Amino acid sequence: MAKEIVDAMAMQRALTRITYEIIEKNKGINNLVIVGIKTRGVYIGQHIADRLQQLESAEIPVGQLDISSYRDDHSDAPVKQDLDVNIDGKRVILVDDVLYTGRTIRAALDALMDNGRPAVVNLAVLVDRGHRELPIRADFVGKNIPTSASERIQVNVEEVDGYDSVEIE
Amino acid sequence: MTKRYLILEDGSIYEGEAFGAPATTFGEIFFHTAMTGYQEIMTNPIYHNQIVVFTVPTIGAAGINHRADEAIVPMVKGVVVREVAEVSTNRLQTMSMHEFLLRHNVPGISRLDTRALTRHLRETGAQKASIVDYPDDHAFDQLRALVMTNQEVQQTSTPRAYVNPGRGANIVVIDFGLKNGILRMLNDYDANVTVLPYNATLDEVMNLDPDGIVLSSGPGDPSAVPEDILDLIRTLQKEVPLLGVGLGHELFAMANHVEVEPMPVEHHGMNHPIREQITNQIMYATQAQGYQVVKGTIKNSDLFVTHVDLTDGSIQGLRHRNYPAFSVQFFPDTAPGPIEATQPFDDFMDMVNIRRGA
Repeated sequence: MAKEIVDAMAMQRALTRITYEIIEKNKGINNLVIVGIKTRGVYIGQHIADRLQQLESAEIPVGQLDISSYRDDHSDAPVKQDLDVNIDGKRVILVDDVLYTGRTIRAALDALMDNGRPAVVNLAVLVDRGHRELPIRADFVGKNIPTSASERIQVNVEEVDGYDSVEIE
Repeated sequence: MTKRYLILEDGSIYEGEAFGAPATTFGEIFFHTAMTGYQEIMTNPIYHNQIVVFTVPTIGAAGINHRADEAIVPMVKGVVVREVAEVSTNRLQTMSMHEFLLRHNVPGISRLDTRALTRHLRETGAQKASIVDYPDDHAFDQLRALVMTNQEVQQTSTPRAYVNPGRGANIVVIDFGLKNGILRMLNDYDANVTVLPYNATLDEVMNLDPDGIVLSSGPGDPSAVPEDILDLIRTLQKEVPLLGVGLGHELFAMANHVEVEPMPVEHHGMNHPIREQITNQIMYATQAQGYQVVKGTIKNSDLFVTHVDLTDGSIQGLRHRNYPAFSVQFFPDTAPGPIEATQPFDDFMDMVNIRRGA
């Protein structure tokens, strides 16, 4: 049975806090680009971009990254993904829903670098559940949720799942 | 019932009936539009040396209950209301409102037209007032000779440091006039709180190794606060997560070169919608505001606006662009008031706990 551990309200507050931290760390929003990792990272990234726009009245570009062909359990050579935003010289905030082994982020960084040379890449995740297999950490974390490897963490976003929540199973 | 009179500096006279203590009193008069929370309002240090007019027609029906105290004694110098409830059936009460005011020698006056008085005060703004036995020339001479102090913070701040122990984060509260609600909220997070006097030095603060700092709610005019305090805030905000409330918000703004001005009509109540800019969500909170930050001066500062009052347009929240520091003009401690506006404490404690790795 899935158990809700972060409700919609707490999820929204976590995104609000991450947004404030992004402003604090970047000393504003100049040159900022958000890149969401498909599927849910894109929507979470869009929520952060919406918040930045509310505060600063400036539109932040949001790109979508499909990293499936860059995965290291994929034997074929990766198929380059064209990002719809320019990341050259930009401060990129890479966004995903859950940070687990770090392999998705490794793949995302490769996919990102194939599209240009960002000035900085920061990582924002809604949930960090531990169990890293690569030396990767997030700069902005919504919620640290210690888990065992046998548990499953599911992030639901309204646009895809009809409601916002984080569940553990 | 004994007749008494409320007289205003501009010559107005209002006849009413005495309750509470039979003393003669002087203070600055203001009106409060809250429907609930009369005890919290009377004991809020922000109303030190003031005479409160309640616009709600009847108060006192809940009696007095020490859990609702915002200070150990009432802070107001007088209470004006249309009617004081004669009967209270609240099982939590320890005494009636009349007994409470009598015990602390605070006079009250009732059975006068508080609607007319409120409309008058809206026109004139804050002024000096007195509750007297007879409104003769002598009474007016005394009232006009009264000089209101500009040492409100000095008078309400604790003279020495004290601890409100807990097992959680180490929080330092700088007391510019501190309502209990702020300590009550910090208790909810089991914070280990040290309250320091308003004139604490940087060393005195940093020697406590704070995980977070709260600038308390005050009474009085922010421009009357010594300049050193602004320097202290400028240094502290770089070092430690910081939350300002009420006067603390105004001082945080001034420390970051945002100007603060008196409001044309002061606002004391809990019925203004406040918008959180980042989410567009609306909340209601207790507001006790005689000053506001000057909007035009924010643009060139390192602060940005987080909350806005939708009724009068005043800025209700600011945040620093580079440091973990923010402030709210309204009272997020819910004492009294709607419980939906406590988010600033959650945000502050999140900020504190993430940095201390808890």
